[in-house]
Amino acid sequence: MSDVGAPQRAGRVLVIDDEEQIRRALKSVLQARHYEVDLAETAEEGLELTAERTPDIIVLDLTLPGMSGLEACRRLREWYHGPILILSVRNADDDKIAALDLGADDYLTKPFSTGELLARIRALLRRTAGIDASATEVRSGDLCVDFARRVVTVGGEPVKLTRTEFDILAYLAHNAGRVVTSHQLLENVWGPEYVGDTKTLRVHVSHLRHKIETGDVPRHVLTEPGVGFRFAELE
Amino acid sequence: MNWRKLISWGDGYPFAVGAVLLASLVFLPFRGLLQATGFMLLYVPVIIAVARLSGARQSATAAVLAFAALDLLFVPPYYRLTVGSLPEWIGLIVFLIVALVSGQQTGHLKQREQAALQRQRELELLNRLSFRVASEKSPHATAEFIVSQVAEVLCVARAALYAGFSAGGTPGRLAETGDAKVASGEAALVSWVLRTSKAVGLPPSEGVPYEQRLVSVAAEEAIPGLVTDGVYLPLQTASSLEGVLVAIPVPERPLSADDGRLLAAVANLAASSLERQRLEEEASHTEALREADRLKTTLVSSVSHELKTPLAAATARVTGLVEEGEGADPERIHAELAEVADDLERLNSSIGDLLDLSRLESDAWEPHLEEYDVRDILGTVLARLPASERERIVFSIADDLSSVRVDFAQMARAITHLVENALAYSPKTSRVTIGADARRRGVAIWVEDRGAGIPDAEKDRIFEKFYRGDASASAPAGTGLGLPIAREIVRSNGGELRVEEAVPHGARFVILLDASALEGR
Repeated sequence: MSDVGAPQRAGRVLVIDDEEQIRRALKSVLQARHYEVDLAETAEEGLELTAERTPDIIVLDLTLPGMSGLEACRRLREWYHGPILILSVRNADDDKIAALDLGADDYLTKPFSTGELLARIRALLRRTAGIDASATEVRSGDLCVDFARRVVTVGGEPVKLTRTEFDILAYLAHNAGRVVTSHQLLENVWGPEYVGDTKTLRVHVSHLRHKIETGDVPRHVLTEPGVGFRFAELE
Repeated sequence: MNWRKLISWGDGYPFAVGAVLLASLVFLPFRGLLQATGFMLLYVPVIIAVARLSGARQSATAAVLAFAALDLLFVPPYYRLTVGSLPEWIGLIVFLIVALVSGQQTGHLKQREQAALQRQRELELLNRLSFRVASEKSPHATAEFIVSQVAEVLCVARAALYAGFSAGGTPGRLAETGDAKVASGEAALVSWVLRTSKAVGLPPSEGVPYEQRLVSVAAEEAIPGLVTDGVYLPLQTASSLEGVLVAIPVPERPLSADDGRLLAAVANLAASSLERQRLEEEASHTEALREADRLKTTLVSSVSHELKTPLAAATARVTGLVEEGEGADPERIHAELAEVADDLERLNSSIGDLLDLSRLESDAWEPHLEEYDVRDILGTVLARLPASERERIVFSIADDLSSVRVDFAQMARAITHLVENALAYSPKTSRVTIGADARRRGVAIWVEDRGAGIPDAEKDRIFEKFYRGDASASAPAGTGLGLPIAREIVRSNGGELRVEEAVPHGARFVILLDASALEGR
């Protein structure tokens, strides 16, 4: 989990933001962590640079002049398959959810700390790099999810989960640290025809929590109000 | 049939003539039974009745007519004006005098009686008005009452009161009564009265003069070519012109000088009442403005303080480092930057709190209510706390908890404020308990600390914006907006936030979500 890591190329990041100060700050912060950074001021410029430089990840501000961040997100998703991290402002929940449903992978609310930004970028890159996808298990605190054997243990004790509960947990754990929308969960666990049935999802998540959460309040599966859920990466 | 109308028709003269003719027809068959003097006595009550019903002049007419009737019908030779003997002449002359005098006396008596009655009604009116206008709070109700009373007591066709234009607008009709339509030229005359402060159409004063400052002109003088019998009175106080009182009489009953004086008195009362109400309203408006101004000043000074302090601190540290150049000790640079990060974090949370509060206060942040497990919300609250603070938190959550119907994000924000508040106002080593239990009418979520607690005197004040407690010198940094925000959020989610004393010491903030917040739609 070291930030600085080896001096080799950590990844290519495209930052699309109309604020000069934010672009400069992100550039210096990311370059210090050995990311290669491209900067775009508008959505149009961002689309061009994406085609030209094929970044590993795009950091996209939602409030852009001209073409909106949402529209840019929609167009990018037509052909760009790398992760998109949304930057939104406080209290603009609707835009944030719309972007996530359009295929953005996670969001950060401005202002954010460098630590948060780097953690999100790392989590997203890890997933696309195929490291986590091929991982056989995920550990977080007292919880361990073994994907291959479909076994979940809490504090070393195996926990009996239904097939649906395991699928939900597995999907969340695969995306550890990253927000997963209800839409995505429903689509991936139940199938596209179940999208919208958030009530069923909530019931299953509630049962899942009963089995894996040992504390007074949930620590592993957290609710992201209005958006979905997030699997917390605990020490 | 309307007797009153019949009697007063043609000013009462046809009635006087008719009464004598009818009496003559009734008496005629008995001509053989009585002497002429007997019939003279019989005519006297008829004359008095006419005087009583119509008036002195009408009775005089009746007397002369009765004199002629006696001469022609009851004093021989019949059907001639000539009279047979001197005694009968004398009898006729005496009859005429008696009839005229008693008619006059009765007529005057009636007039005085009527005048007294009118005085009494006017006095009653003024009495009612003065009581009512002194207590009335709304100009509209005052005006309604005044015009209804004027219409009733003076029997006018139309009464109206114009007011509410002190601000310089066009006259607004505040109240009106009567069946008559708005008189032609009324608006023009009202405007004229407002412009000149003079009355229009007040009846001649007949002896007792009107108030000195009340100058009245004929309608034609005000607006050339306009003829009206209406009266337009300015509602004038010593310092201002409050409106115009309009009275349009019915054609049969033109307004007398007494009516004019009564109207002037009513206008005075109305003017002083309207002025009082206007001044009261202005005063309360001024007071409200002053209060709003005071709040705004507090807000601006607190806001600028909250925003400037961390900014100034961060600026000082960073410019200090820039100044030092490359010679600065890397360890110190790191320490300084950590402090700057704290300053900026504080600045950020201040701005966030201000935005939240302004959105809550302008109802721009409506809650999206859905059912959630309380534990779920508390999990999010916990996850958002800094790791170092998480260790101080303990939970006390009942098993039989029903779900709550709230806006998840808002409620999490409110509870976070309470928890941050508890962490800040209690010793660093003490624990903060977050609890939830079922109450008779719903669910209670509470946050309890082991700090000094909150003195009774401050229990309400802590929910005021920017209030930081008496010990604010030692109070931790913060916007002083956390509790007001929490209370607003809880309120907009249909709950209640209160503060209690914890045992053995400390404060306990309780969010009560009642049954309505638990049930579905």
